[in-house]
Amino acid sequence: MGAPLNDVHIKTDAPSTLFLDKHADYIASYSAKKDDYEYCMTEYLRMSGVYWGITAMDLTGSLTRMDRESILEFMRHCQHDCGGIGASQGHDPHLLYTLSAVQILTLFDNLNTIDLEKVVEYIRSLQQKDGSFAGDKWGEVDTRFSFCAVATLALLGRLDAIRMEEAVTFVLSCMNFDGGFGCRPGSESHAGQVYCCVGFLTIVGRLHLVNADLLGWWLCERQLPSGGLNGRPEKLPDVCYSWWVLASLRMLGRLCWIDSKRLRTFILACQDEETGGFADRPGDVVGAVDCIRSKTTIQYKNCFPYLYIYSYLSKPCLQVDLFHTLFGLAGLSLLGETQLKPVNPVLCLPEETIQRLGLHLQLLN
Amino acid sequence: MAREDDVEVLVRRIFKDISSAFRRNPDIDEIGVIACPEARYNRSPVVAVGPKLGLESWCLKLLAPHLHSRLVQHRRGKIWLDPDALVELTHTLLLLNPDCTTAWNVRKELIQVGLLQPGKDLWLGRLALSRFPKSPDTWIHRRWLLQRLVAAKEIAEAPSGDFFEAFQTLLHGELVVCTAAADRYPSNYNAWSHRCWVIQHLAGCCPKVLQAELESTQAWVENHVSDHSGFHYRQFLLGALAADTVGMSQACVHMHPSTNIPAVEMCAGGSLAAQHIHNEFDLCTDLNLAYPGHESLWSHRRFLFHLWHKVAGAMSGEIYNGPLRSLSPLAVSLQTLETHDEGHERKRLKRCPSWQRHDLQAEQEFAAGFLAKSMNHVQSRFASTYLKWIDAVSGSWTPP
Repeated sequence: MGAPLNDVHIKTDAPSTLFLDKHADYIASYSAKKDDYEYCMTEYLRMSGVYWGITAMDLTGSLTRMDRESILEFMRHCQHDCGGIGASQGHDPHLLYTLSAVQILTLFDNLNTIDLEKVVEYIRSLQQKDGSFAGDKWGEVDTRFSFCAVATLALLGRLDAIRMEEAVTFVLSCMNFDGGFGCRPGSESHAGQVYCCVGFLTIVGRLHLVNADLLGWWLCERQLPSGGLNGRPEKLPDVCYSWWVLASLRMLGRLCWIDSKRLRTFILACQDEETGGFADRPGDVVGAVDCIRSKTTIQYKNCFPYLYIYSYLSKPCLQVDLFHTLFGLAGLSLLGETQLKPVNPVLCLPEETIQRLGLHLQLLN
Repeated sequence: MAREDDVEVLVRRIFKDISSAFRRNPDIDEIGVIACPEARYNRSPVVAVGPKLGLESWCLKLLAPHLHSRLVQHRRGKIWLDPDALVELTHTLLLLNPDCTTAWNVRKELIQVGLLQPGKDLWLGRLALSRFPKSPDTWIHRRWLLQRLVAAKEIAEAPSGDFFEAFQTLLHGELVVCTAAADRYPSNYNAWSHRCWVIQHLAGCCPKVLQAELESTQAWVENHVSDHSGFHYRQFLLGALAADTVGMSQACVHMHPSTNIPAVEMCAGGSLAAQHIHNEFDLCTDLNLAYPGHESLWSHRRFLFHLWHKVAGAMSGEIYNGPLRSLSPLAVSLQTLETHDEGHERKRLKRCPSWQRHDLQAEQEFAAGFLAKSMNHVQSRFASTYLKWIDAVSGSWTPP
């Protein structure tokens, strides 16, 4: 007797077309719920939440529905004297939210809203002796923060501000025998960290240092019979890995190694037909692992590289949020969905925005 | 307006109840939520039974936003809270929302100025993990605390006997926290990568600790065959044990200077590492037979194949060049540990019994055996993918 695969079952009546307008409605309504409990509990990552919302909105072609002025006003209050940006007013600065802020301002073509020279100085100050980056002044090191540092600097055109050779050496020291990457030297390969490290190496023009065949193999093994992708062996599929895995494969020039058709079916099945938005996975869970989902009220969800989002599960299975909505849409865009704007696989912004900046990112063929 | 005032009074009362529950019972070791969407009875939603603390779910929606907004107001300079009030506020807030980075930072600042004991925060983190075993910020805060504790004067300058005792207690306590979190959430990346960090930074990858960890986690992985993170942890241990042999230092780059490991232990022989790898192959085979169809086990075997060649190559005098391009057909035996005569050692290697070989051919035979016997199509798929993978990394495969 074999073990049941940890996977989901996609019902025949699951959504199979893209509810474009509903998603825009969902994102627009999200920012109106400011008194909501969930809104309050996720304030510690608000800046990233705003980035997920407006990028998703722009991919659907409805950016004008977002209140640009009030977002810019909010952002003016989030930069600290050290140059770093906090998730919200009264929250401490961190590289994660600094990247989100710069992504938002790039998208709005309004970078001068904050003091950019100070941002560069902040990032420079977080580089450690071994080339790694701390997320903030308290010193936690993670390859996610290496990505945040170079992604932000690339958007600002200031990659010259850091010690690049050491930064590359550190990221490579986190590479594992399977071709993947973990958060620190010796840590397990994880699709979210792989995205960060492959993205890092793409931005700094060192993608040739990756064993693309070996890593591509590991990445395409993330696909399960349902079509969905997981982030590590024997984990359940999750729509956000449609982004981390797919974008990595795209950078490595190996997108065709997975079954796009089945992945598309999986992503579409994660939509909420009534409210709009995407959940982490379709309703029916096959494996036993996730039966705790229906018992716990609150649980964390993975959201690389943006820490973890807190969410309330009012319904046991299909619960949409901004995070999965962005990465569901971005995944569909990478798969060639024509109703959406093309997305850049490295910086997760619309391709047209990256082109406007004149940023050239060399991917593998 | 009256309603808002009522809520304010109620929230303050609940907050007080929680604080006094902790004062009455400082040994509370687990917190949880009691499913109770509405306040049905006129009683406190804070329920303490022995060392367990429960909160009725209806009060969370009132309490958390209130505490959060007070913290933010304090941080923005709109209200002033004294250190005791801050400690109490962040304590409760973090048990409700342990990823509120700023709340942990407030506590770090208090520790820096000596207004809060780091040991108290290790305890608080442990409590938070009892409810949120993945919480990244809780793990991050622990690493900050541990670094600080190890670097602290009291420990570093203590007489060596006291130092080792304090250090052992700290190390052991941390491993217990990691196991508890791994038990609570499957494939808990944050718990297991923290454990790796502890071995690197607190134990300095000391071979004795590595071996003890290999022993103590064996039963755990046997009971969690689909937990890839547990197996990865053993890969980390095996890799660190083999590091001396093949000069792979990445797992041990951050040796803590204050861990005075006797030199003789630091140079544990490569043959011992080879024996560990061989034992791990055996464990992997046994589990694969008992629990067919687990990707984690096949993935673990890939690592063992990789490490075996690294170690075997290094011991036979060949230089190992990265991702498995130069494979050595030699197998290694435990007995080589006792000799320093290289020529003699090589002869022994060639003579070693075939059951200890894990070269390409041996592993091809192993996987083919599975394919021939297995009635389980998932298991067959994993076996044939394993075959392709070992061929590929051995250099005889080209991508489509």
